Order: sequence, then C-alpha cells, then structure tokens
Amino acid sequence: MKINKAIITTRRAFSERMLEYGAINKDFVVFEADIGYSTYSHLFGDKYPERYFNMGIAESNTMAAAAGMAADGRTVIACSYGVFITMRALEAIRTFICYPNLNVKFLSSHGGVTPATDGVTHQATEDIGIMTTLPNMKVLAPADTESAKKIFDVAIKNPGPVFIRLMRDPLFDIYTKEDTFELGGSKTIRKGKDITVVTYGDTIFQALKAADELEKENISIEIIDMYSIKPFDKKNLLNSISKTGALLVVEDHQKRNGLGYELSNFCLKNKPVLFDNLGLNDTFAESGNYYKLIDKYGISKKHIFNKAKELISKKRK
Amino acid sequence: MDKKSQNLEERIQYLKEKAKKVRKNIIDMIFISQSGHPGGALSAADIMTALYFDILKIDPKNPRWPDRDRVILSKGHACPVWYSCLAMRGYFPTKELKTLRKFESILQGHPDMRKTPGIDMTTGSLGQGLSLGVGMALEGKLVKKNYHIYVILGDGEINEGQVWEAAASASKYKLDNLTAIIDKNSLQMDGFTDKVMPMDPIDKKFEAFNWYTITINGHDLKEILLALEKAKKIKDKPVCIVANTIKGKGVSFMENIRKWHGKAPNQQEYEIAIKEIGDSDNENK
Repeated sequence: MKINKAIITTRRAFSERMLEYGAINKDFVVFEADIGYSTYSHLFGDKYPERYFNMGIAESNTMAAAAGMAADGRTVIACSYGVFITMRALEAIRTFICYPNLNVKFLSSHGGVTPATDGVTHQATEDIGIMTTLPNMKVLAPADTESAKKIFDVAIKNPGPVFIRLMRDPLFDIYTKEDTFELGGSKTIRKGKDITVVTYGDTIFQALKAADELEKENISIEIIDMYSIKPFDKKNLLNSISKTGALLVVEDHQKRNGLGYELSNFCLKNKPVLFDNLGLNDTFAESGNYYKLIDKYGISKKHIFNKAKELISKKRK
Repeated sequence: MDKKSQNLEERIQYLKEKAKKVRKNIIDMIFISQSGHPGGALSAADIMTALYFDILKIDPKNPRWPDRDRVILSKGHACPVWYSCLAMRGYFPTKELKTLRKFESILQGHPDMRKTPGIDMTTGSLGQGLSLGVGMALEGKLVKKNYHIYVILGDGEINEGQVWEAAASASKYKLDNLTAIIDKNSLQMDGFTDKVMPMDPIDKKFEAFNWYTITINGHDLKEILLALEKAKKIKDKPVCIVANTIKGKGVSFMENIRKWHGKAPNQQEYEIAIKEIGDSDNENK
C-alpha cells in the first residue's frame, strides 16, 4: 500500500464529488448552515444556487427544514460541523429525520480532534456514539480523498439517513480510483497475524506507522479500516480475530460509546478475544497542534504500539 | 364532502355543523382513551375544520397526492383534532378514533406520518413545525407546484427559539406558499402565557421578521375563512394568522382552565361535555 500526503481534506473531497454528482443527478438538494466555505458545500451552491439553501447559523432549523424538504422522498445533503449536527440539532435529526426514516445525508466535518487548534467547542469527539444510537441512522467515516468521494455515492445510494464523518485537515491518501466501498463494508489495509487493529478516519495513519515499528520487532498486525461504522463488517472482523485472537480498536472519539464499545459487545457475544480500545478516556481534549493532541490523549502511534504489544504478551501467557 | 357552496353564509353554516362533530369526536376519543390533550385540540377545532372542510386542496383517497396542500400540526399534542378531521374526511374509518393512544394503534399519542394516512409530517416536539413547514414550502417552490403549506402552532411553543430561526428563513426565501396559524389560546402547560413566558405582541414579532400578519377571532368561521383566503393571495411573503382562541372552547368547564391541557374527562364530565357541544347529525359515526 502506497501512502501519500493528501492534498485536499476529506470534507473537500466529499463536496467535490457532490458537485460532480450534481451534474448527473438533478434530484438532490443541499442545506448549509453558514460554514459553506469550510465544508466546501459552496462549490455546489455556486454552480446550483437553486438547489442550495443556506439557512444561516441555525442548525436546528436547518435540519428540521431538511426533514420538511425530504418528507415526500427528496434526498437532502445537510452540512455542518460534527458538534453542531450531532448535538445542537440532535432532536430534529432523531425525531423528524430518523423516526420517519427520511433521505437526509449529513456532511459532518471536523470529526474527532482534527479541528485541533479550535479547541473542544469544535472537536466532535462524541459524534459516533450519538449518531450510532439513533435507529435508522447509518454512520460512515472515510479516511482519505478517494474514499470520501466514493462514500458520497454510498450515502446517496442507500435510502434513509446517513451520517458521514469528515475531517478538517489533509492527512494521507491510501486508496486508489480502483478501490470500492459499500455500506457495511471494510478494508483490510494491512495483513497480519498477531493482532487485529480496527480503526477509521485519521487514526488509520497512526496504526500504519505503529505497524511499521512493530514489524521491526517481528510483530505483525492486521489493520482494518472500518469506514462503515454502522452497520459494520461483521464477517471481515470475525475472520480477522479468529486468526489473530486479539482485537485493539483505535478511534479519534471518546472511548465510551464509540466503535470500541460496539465491537467489544459484538466480540463478547460472538467471539471473545483479548480486547482493548484506545480513545479519549472520559475527558475533553484542548487546543493545540493535532499531533501533540493525539499523543497526549492516547490515540497516536506510540499508544497503539504499546497497547498492541501488551495485548499480544497477554495472549502468549 | 358535498360540493362546496359559493355562498359564504352557507359555507359557514356547513362548517359550524362539522366543527360540532369534530369537537364531539375529540371528547369521545380522549374519554375512551382516558389520555390526551383536550384543551388545545378544542381551541384549534374551528381552524382545523375550516381547513379540512373548505380550504384545503386534498384527496383523501390519495393521501400522498403530490399536488395536495400540506398541513403540519406543530402543536402535535392537539392531534385528536387532526385525527377527527382526517377520519371525517375519509382518510381512515371513523371507528379507528376509538384506538387513540392505544397499543399498536394507527393513531399515536403524537402525529406520525408513517402510521396515519393524511398526516403529512410527524410532529409532537414543540417549536419544530415551522422549520418543517419551511422545508416543505422550499420543496413546493423547487418543483414549481402551487400547493400551500399550513402550519398550526400553539402560542406556548413560540417560546422556542427555533420558531424564530424558521421565521427568518421563511422570509429570506419569500415563502408565500407558507401560512403559519398561531392558535393563541393564552395558556401553556404551566399557566397563562403572559405569566410563564410573555411573547406579545406576536404579530409585531412576525412583522419584524418580514411576515404578513392577520389577526382574527379563531372561533369565528367567517373571519377564519376570509383570513385563509387572503393568506393565499399574499405574494412574496409568508403569512402569519394570529388566531385568538379559548383553550377548551365549547366545553364550559374546560374553557381557560390550565388543568384541561392534558387531562381526560371522567364519565360525568364526559356526559356534560357532549351535551354542551350539542347535537350533531349522526353521519360519520
């Protein structure tokens, strides 16, 4: 797998695909809440002003109006940051979009601590827990440019509400135009035999770096990009942990109620293996450089390196 | 429904009879269920009757007819009035009214667009209906259809800030296909609106958001009809009809009494209520 520094952000990649798709499909509309130059939804708005509704700094109204517009079946893409979508507008999303199962797709930028210097107010570190709890909601989290573009199509093609977690800064690109993505799918991006590391979004690159370090100690880790968080790829997970016998889930999210909690529950019921998870440990982060934050809050390569070794040593006992 | 009379007085007489039946159904349903909200359903009864038996362009045999007018009862707890109108218009059998709020009923405690034919949008969480209406009105503009969206709000729920976010967005997009009707019964759950959270002057607030406003007596069917007809003619602005009403209207012991917001009558109260609402014909029983 070739890892390149990304040129554009996942939020931009998603919006660029939205713009492209706008020419093919005239039926969907886009709602924005005054951060169109940050979510890049303005790209669509500039070209298709009649299908673009900027509702101002009013996320609850934006999401409820999106529900009204979707009530007779129309597909709506609603754009904002994760913290505002999943908390400010949560009730509108739960009661008027998820309950009637309407076709609203959420472009949710600034996932995890990726809006690093903005600080806690803008860091969506509870978004996955909140959104996966809602019946009918599907949750996707692409990690790079290609997957963000393809995930747009996945969200559009699958009926009902879909939440797409995107990130603030360009990180790394790992996928090519040939890679395919689907609801409930996952990607094994590195094969290994000693432990399975499941992750998504920005922490994938920390896992890849940890894997290189571990390789030097003759430890081979299998890394799964669980870009489809709800529903998740049970088959690939089961196959992998049946082989490795250990699972480490790493996510830029609270440990509580994230993918780690979900998969630990799944493993307990179906395939108990050695397990641990990394994430924010019941704490908020702070302002600062992204790499310093992930180091301090326990989700960088050194934490993955240490935790993987710890689990493997338990396995050998 | 009979062919609509062109004569205003005849229309009003027709609606008066229907309103009695609508009110009787409200009391029946809530009595049978021993659960529900009579006060706010009764205050909206004349407005909803005027909509469903005169104004709305709808086809009960085709509830999702794309060209239909849409109704959003933002004050969703008042849904017995909506269910009553829908049943009387033939969206579902009137006998269903007896299942209000019961296990596996099509008539949920608050309106549900997936369970009840004729319900255009799920509601029940206050302060959200106008936003939902804005979205529907934008859809109407996008598809260039001339259907109209009616949102019925309580005067308590306009405490919610989101109502004013919606008001701003409706005037931004010049949604003249959207009419908000404030059922101004002056009572909210904890007491009189001017004590709990004063919002007067409501009309001036909407005017400040660039809405066209009309203030009426919400129990005078002539005023209701004229206001609704006028609202359809206003161009480039959404319209807010402030309808002064009486909570519990039609049942003397419920009128203007806080506790009848969400309380079912007992047998004795039920009998008095039905008697006061008065005889209505037996159609649709």
